[in-house]
Amino acid sequence: MERNVQKHGLVNLAAALVIFLAAFGATLYVNSQAGQAASLFLGLGVLVAFASWFQMRLEENERLEKLEVEELARRRGETTLFESKDAEVFPAQRAREQFEKFFVPGFSVLLLLLEGGGAYLLWRWISQTTSGMAPERAMPALAFFGIFALVLFLVGRFSVTIARLEQHRLLRPGASFLLAGAYICFVTALGIAGVKTEFPRIDAYLARALCVLLGLMAAETFLTLLLEIYRPRVKGKVARPLYDSRLVGLLAQPESLFTTAAQALDYQFGFKVSETWFFQMLRRSLPVLFLAQLAALLLSTCVVFIDPGEQGVLEHFGRLAARPVLEPGGHLLWPWPIDKVRRYRTGQIQTFEVGYVPDAQSQAAKTLLWSVAHYTTEVNFLVGNRQPATLTNQTDNSRDQVKMAPIGLIDISIPIQYQITNVLDWAYQIANPTNLLKDVATHEVVRFLAGSDLNSVLSESRVEATRLLSERIQNDADRHRLGVKILFVGVQDLHPPVKVAGDYENVVAAEQERIATNNFAHADAIQTNALADAQAFADVNQAQAVRQQTELSAFARADLFTNQIAAYEAAPSVYRQRVYFQMFPEATANSRKYILLVTNTHDVVIFDLEDKIREDLLNLNVPTNSP
Amino acid sequence: MKRNFITLITAAVLIIIFVLLLFTFQVRYSEVAVVTTFGRITGAPREPGLHLRWPWPIQQVYKFDQRTQNFDDKFSENLTGDSITLLSSVYVGWRISDPAAFLNSFRNGSVAAAQSQLQSILTSAKSAVVGSNTLADFVNADTKQLRFDQIQNEIEQMVQDELQTNSYGIQVVFLGIKQLGLPESVTQAVFDRMKAERNILISQAQNEGQKEAIMIRANADRQANITLANARAEATRIEGEGVAEAAQTLRIFQQNPDLAVFLLRVNALQQSLNQKSTLIFDQRTPPFDLFQGIPTNMPGH
Repeated sequence: MERNVQKHGLVNLAAALVIFLAAFGATLYVNSQAGQAASLFLGLGVLVAFASWFQMRLEENERLEKLEVEELARRRGETTLFESKDAEVFPAQRAREQFEKFFVPGFSVLLLLLEGGGAYLLWRWISQTTSGMAPERAMPALAFFGIFALVLFLVGRFSVTIARLEQHRLLRPGASFLLAGAYICFVTALGIAGVKTEFPRIDAYLARALCVLLGLMAAETFLTLLLEIYRPRVKGKVARPLYDSRLVGLLAQPESLFTTAAQALDYQFGFKVSETWFFQMLRRSLPVLFLAQLAALLLSTCVVFIDPGEQGVLEHFGRLAARPVLEPGGHLLWPWPIDKVRRYRTGQIQTFEVGYVPDAQSQAAKTLLWSVAHYTTEVNFLVGNRQPATLTNQTDNSRDQVKMAPIGLIDISIPIQYQITNVLDWAYQIANPTNLLKDVATHEVVRFLAGSDLNSVLSESRVEATRLLSERIQNDADRHRLGVKILFVGVQDLHPPVKVAGDYENVVAAEQERIATNNFAHADAIQTNALADAQAFADVNQAQAVRQQTELSAFARADLFTNQIAAYEAAPSVYRQRVYFQMFPEATANSRKYILLVTNTHDVVIFDLEDKIREDLLNLNVPTNSP
Repeated sequence: MKRNFITLITAAVLIIIFVLLLFTFQVRYSEVAVVTTFGRITGAPREPGLHLRWPWPIQQVYKFDQRTQNFDDKFSENLTGDSITLLSSVYVGWRISDPAAFLNSFRNGSVAAAQSQLQSILTSAKSAVVGSNTLADFVNADTKQLRFDQIQNEIEQMVQDELQTNSYGIQVVFLGIKQLGLPESVTQAVFDRMKAERNILISQAQNEGQKEAIMIRANADRQANITLANARAEATRIEGEGVAEAAQTLRIFQQNPDLAVFLLRVNALQQSLNQKSTLIFDQRTPPFDLFQGIPTNMPGH
């Protein structure tokens, strides 16, 4: 019987090793992520099976050693010699104790590292890897994993059953790994089948789930190692091996959960709850309930509810159904995989962007300036430029090249809204219609700008650009049978790149300066003309006044003269003298007069008639002191 | 007994599912399938629907998407005919026109491998077409000189020819230029040129503003001078008319010319002496002739 334990252990080890190598090969063949995780689990099972088998051998040797010692003692009738516990007397026992004391904890630490490290590295690898499973290899891999599951199930189930015997307890760790490995291989096969049918991501999801399982196993191993330090050692009581995972055991034998729960309930309530009819019924009905759940799941695929704003496309065995388009509401259909429904958001207005990537910061901005980037990511588009290049102070080659090309750069931000109008075209004409629509829109923007003038686009051609782009994108979408209607093309941001935006603003400022200068000149001109008009008016009026004065004065003098003639004729000489003497004092009142009363006409009189600077002072009469 | 029945039912269902998976396959409405028997393509491509098959390794099913697939070319740099480095990328719509040829051409009918091959062909064709056109053919405000659409067609035609020549089992449905750009150094040069153009406009606005201001002021000065000149001429004319009118009174003075002349002289003298002046008279000048005979302190008296 004991020999059989070792044999079973060896069979378990061999089965675990072979299936591990085969599963790893199949995983590499099909490139399955879940297969990688399953292989890691099976590899751990190999190590555990080896450790348990080795421990079985040590216990067997110890048992044989005891038999031999008892036999010798019985023959010689001396027991004192062999009652000693010396290691020299019981080397096999000593070896087993040393194994349990040192190797098993060390091996458990190794398991902990492999489980934890494996889970972490595998998770990272799954996150970073981009290559998917090869669908054409799915069927062979599916068959392989199915076979692995079957073999592991048969071997594991048998081992788990006989491991319930006390003498076979060391079979349990390896057997649990084998049985759990069978289930994991089965799940991996289902994942591969899922990828082969309709669910390409299920392989990655399963791989992540297995990573979580490995992480939980690592946590359990760590906890077991920690509790081992404080575990009371009772002499004669056989301890559970550290590497015997309860989690793996539960996974291999989920029904054991019932046993454990029943024991706990019995203990808590003080009577055999596990023997009540309800508990027994629950225990018996669990597989039926599980199957019923599966059946319900399958039946749920017979009904589909299309949400408002959506349309569904119904496929029957891959072909389009007689009435393929499902409107919002409930619909009955054949169960999966006979009928399949794909949903599309046909009623909703969908949006994508050309020329920029919207971000929260730009959405929050209250003011948009040319000189400040509107979005974190903006694309410079090439645009025609009618203005001649007149750069003269540049010498490097690149600039000379640019001189030849009448081009400019422009930043443009265009949100485009569309609606799916023909769901069948949208679903079946193009493999990735959303991407194509974006490509088409970007293409039309590039095409429009390539044939446009920069300054024209920035100013008067905006409205034309909106109309033209809407028309062209719609035409392209129709040509490619995308089944969409372009609702809105918003040429909302159209501006020169940030690096040159300041210069564009300076041009506007210069234009304003120019207008201001002109206005000042116009103001001066108005002033000049107004003053000239006023001066002209004054001159003319002055002349008219002079004219009046001249005329009146002449007529007045003529009247005066007429009267003077009479006086003159009455006494010509007297009149003349009178006029003279009346005039003389008045006329010479302000003149300096020198009167020469000389008798000798030969005298020379010299006058200093030079003007004096200080006339007033010189004119003072200075009193003389001469006697 | 009941438990065994359930187990049997479960096992039977699982076996049926497994057998169905092994012996049947579905082809979607958007797909076409090629079946190989012991590695050799057998039968026509399978249309959408449910089909029977022998399990692996006897038969193997390869499903291909029949819809038009689009992928974006790399944004790559090429030299144009006028030796300007231009960055460009195109988007391509392609579909599997011959599934059997496609399977033979690409290992396991890999779409990724097909796109990689298409990328190589596209890169070559694009490079050739870009090199035979100038930058002004790609971007030009004068639409008559623009060859944007022709360039696309040339690239598409070259790719199509290459695909047909080598029977890859795929065809290009459409091709369009998705993006055009310039390398960073050239982009900076374009920015410099755009700035220089703006500076021209700034200078033009500022200096023409000055010019116009000067012209406006000069025009105003001219206008003012004309106005004043006209006014002065008018004033002179008006004054002349006054003089002419006043001259009519001269006949009255002609009645006694001696008196008139005398009065004019007296008036002229009065006007002349009105200003501050220095007068030297001798004793014979009236009324100073009254001093004659008055004794003075002069020698001899």
